[in-house]
Amino acid sequence: MSQLDIVGKSFPQIAAREKATGETKFVTDLVLPRMLCGQVLRSPYPHAKIISIDTAKAAALPGVKAVVTFQDTPKIKFGPRSEDWTIFASDKTRFHGDEVAAVAAVDADIAEQALELIRVEYKELPYIISPLDAMKQGAPLVHEDKPGNIGAEFKVEAGDVDRAMDDSYVVYEDHFYTNQVYQAYMEPMSALADVDLSGRVSIWTGTQIPNMMRMTYAKALGMSPDSLRIVVPEYGGAFGGKMENNIHLIAAVLAQKSGRPVKLVNTRHDDFLAGNPRVPMHFDIKIGATQDGILTAKDVKVVGAAGARLVYSQVIVATACYRVDSLYRLKNVRAKGYTVYTNSVPTACFRGFGNSQSTFVLESALDELAIQLKIDPAELRIKNGMGSNETSVHGWKIGSSGLRECVTKASKAANWSQKKNNKTPFKGIGLACCNHVSGNRPFAREFDGGSGIVRVGKDGRITVFHGESDMGQGQNTTFAQIVAERLGVTMDMVNVAQVDTDISPFGLGSFATRGTLMGGNGVLAAAKDAYDQMADIAADMLNTKAADVACRKAMFFSKSSSETKISFQDIASEATIRHHGAPIVGTGFYKPPTELPDPDTKKGNISPAYPFGCQIAEVEVDPDTGQVSVTNFVAAHDVGRAINPMATVGQIQGGIAQGLGWTLMENMAYEDGKMINADFVDYIVPSCFDIPDIKAILVEPIEPNGPYGAKGIGEPALNPTMAAITNAIYDATGVRIKELPVNPQKLLAQIQKLGKHVKE
Amino acid sequence: MKHVRIHLVVNGEDYSLFITPNRVLLDVLREDLELTGTKEGCGLGKCGACTVLLDGRPVHACLTLALQADGCQITTIEGIGEKEVHPLQEAFIDKGAIQCGFCTPGMINTAKALLDANANPSEDEIKQAIAGNLCRCTGYNKIVDAIHSCGCQSEKEKGEVR
Repeated sequence: MSQLDIVGKSFPQIAAREKATGETKFVTDLVLPRMLCGQVLRSPYPHAKIISIDTAKAAALPGVKAVVTFQDTPKIKFGPRSEDWTIFASDKTRFHGDEVAAVAAVDADIAEQALELIRVEYKELPYIISPLDAMKQGAPLVHEDKPGNIGAEFKVEAGDVDRAMDDSYVVYEDHFYTNQVYQAYMEPMSALADVDLSGRVSIWTGTQIPNMMRMTYAKALGMSPDSLRIVVPEYGGAFGGKMENNIHLIAAVLAQKSGRPVKLVNTRHDDFLAGNPRVPMHFDIKIGATQDGILTAKDVKVVGAAGARLVYSQVIVATACYRVDSLYRLKNVRAKGYTVYTNSVPTACFRGFGNSQSTFVLESALDELAIQLKIDPAELRIKNGMGSNETSVHGWKIGSSGLRECVTKASKAANWSQKKNNKTPFKGIGLACCNHVSGNRPFAREFDGGSGIVRVGKDGRITVFHGESDMGQGQNTTFAQIVAERLGVTMDMVNVAQVDTDISPFGLGSFATRGTLMGGNGVLAAAKDAYDQMADIAADMLNTKAADVACRKAMFFSKSSSETKISFQDIASEATIRHHGAPIVGTGFYKPPTELPDPDTKKGNISPAYPFGCQIAEVEVDPDTGQVSVTNFVAAHDVGRAINPMATVGQIQGGIAQGLGWTLMENMAYEDGKMINADFVDYIVPSCFDIPDIKAILVEPIEPNGPYGAKGIGEPALNPTMAAITNAIYDATGVRIKELPVNPQKLLAQIQKLGKHVKE
Repeated sequence: MKHVRIHLVVNGEDYSLFITPNRVLLDVLREDLELTGTKEGCGLGKCGACTVLLDGRPVHACLTLALQADGCQITTIEGIGEKEVHPLQEAFIDKGAIQCGFCTPGMINTAKALLDANANPSEDEIKQAIAGNLCRCTGYNKIVDAIHSCGCQSEKEKGEVR
């Protein structure tokens, strides 16, 4: 590859100046003339029959412009994966926070008063919160047509697990639990909806999947997809949480009924109650190895709580069943997954998508094997790790793998061997690895690639259109760098358009760590098309052939005689004149070399590239309280090539901070079927004091399928964090953490039981 | 509810407002003055996204009644840099301390108050100051780094960005 001018360099986000000065208009900042304030009435019970709803008094309150319930909706069942949703509860509510009614009023005070005037008569029903209980015979049914509360089942098997397990020198078997945690993006979910005279609905919202959301919502609203438009302004974080959610549809229904624009912003409390937090999971794992530490077989059972409706939990449980198998050279694997309805908030995507849950379990189990075998945990990972150009048990074709390099570099930077061998009481060091995907072929059935449009105006101004989503991670900047590099221009010349489904390509969105690779390759293809059109004109003006033309720093020149140069802007102007006003429009797409997994065996290469990583945590455990603090952190990640190293390091540090919060601090707690800590007073996320210095190491094996060699980083940044910390806790105390989050009292009790409690 | 008249000086400009006494400063800034740079993240004073400077002190605008600010000088993110971008804003931009940016206005206001009181804060003093400002994107490393680089020019090299 020739010398790179833009890719591989640390640029601030292209929107950073606006964000730093308060100029950015986030979704919650948007205002339209005559806009109303929407608010939602939610179920106070985890499970209750709706006897009656009386909205008359609310509707009569001056300033109230619309009151809506299930009766005001098209009454269509819908859902992104499983059609078990309605916009409002119809005959019964299924979780504390379920949508019952909504109002639109001229201001927030009146909307709030109106909610209080809605009379709902409920009859409470028996409820179920634990997925294990929900599977038992006689458990209350969340959906009457779903016996046993089973939302979905998943099965995968390869090799001969029983035989390999029997032949193993060591076998470790245990139960683990990963809890429900909240994404806690700083801007709550929100939507602004407007209806034009033809009945066409526009929704401005922060979403990771504008185009797929549009298809789901069109069905819910009983419209054709072309009657619905989704626009994605800047928005304040998502981490998997901002996909389909009823509040967007409620805003649309309120706008339809009132005939005025309606903005609906979740209170933080509502966002906790009815967002889409992480799928809690129970794991039974059994794993074996030879005396030399070669993994022989893995057998897991996963039970995940879907909450009251399926969002993406069934796909997430499936992911937890098998994605992590491609981290190591496993040959014999079996998994069974159950996604179970419960009377709790519907769970869905949160950075890691099931792979973070299963990575915690596998990487804990691997440390147990290492202990039994008396092998260094780092050595065990190196022995078994997937290498470049290998194919995993599920048919995943690993192009590049920097896994071993991640382990060795992280170990060196953390001074692993020395610290591991020199024990200090209540201080420990732990290591964990991870794999992930850069896009996931089966997530959307029709295709999985990316696309882009690159427009060059007469003035040389470049605008990139894509259909993915910058949720704050800096994707627009990455795309601008890729396009600037390909066109041979400077960063200040490239703008990235806000995603608008009326204009942008049909991108699948930002999930599955797919943005950089899929979207990046899409805009790269579009940039190439635009460049080729401009190079033809440049060749003509430079009296040479297009193949002899190059552009660097926004100047076109002939490679054979670089004396004459013509600016990019002059070529753009000439192109527009020759084309009677038409701008240069480059379009392109990327079709990844992936395949849909076989429905029975699940075998098939689901992603064009697989990122890997290794994280090492150091902890101190307070012998008097059981409190754990993380004192140092090293993370080495195989990112293919970092398009923007500063942004990549930012992803790694942010992912680890979230993983640390999950491991040590965060838990959505229920009492009497109700979430009892649904705000930032009682649900504590990490502050700056909780996060240590995080040293990020970028391992760049240059991925053949990536744009300029890049893979994704979003989710792998968090996947190994939990086990790295809990493995360090084991090193410090001898206690194996099998349940997240770490509970200091329980940890202390276990330490005391082991007799390691030494008071100074 | 009876309306009351209050006077605010926001980013150096005088405002005379006729409001109901139950309104919080956050809503008056965002709705009446259309200064939407100040954000609401929780409404309970627990996330710091709404931090503004009231006579130079950082306060949660979501917990401050507009009435309590009567006669006070208020600085919001829009007034931090005035015509030029403030060095703190520049540092946040250059050091990668901004991802989604929703916490940024509150974070910068808190940091501004710190630096005004203590031109050369230690890392611990920086953390003390911003401990009430939540950021869910960055893991704080780059934010602390950005603030530190403004306070202590000689140690500017500290922040390693590859």
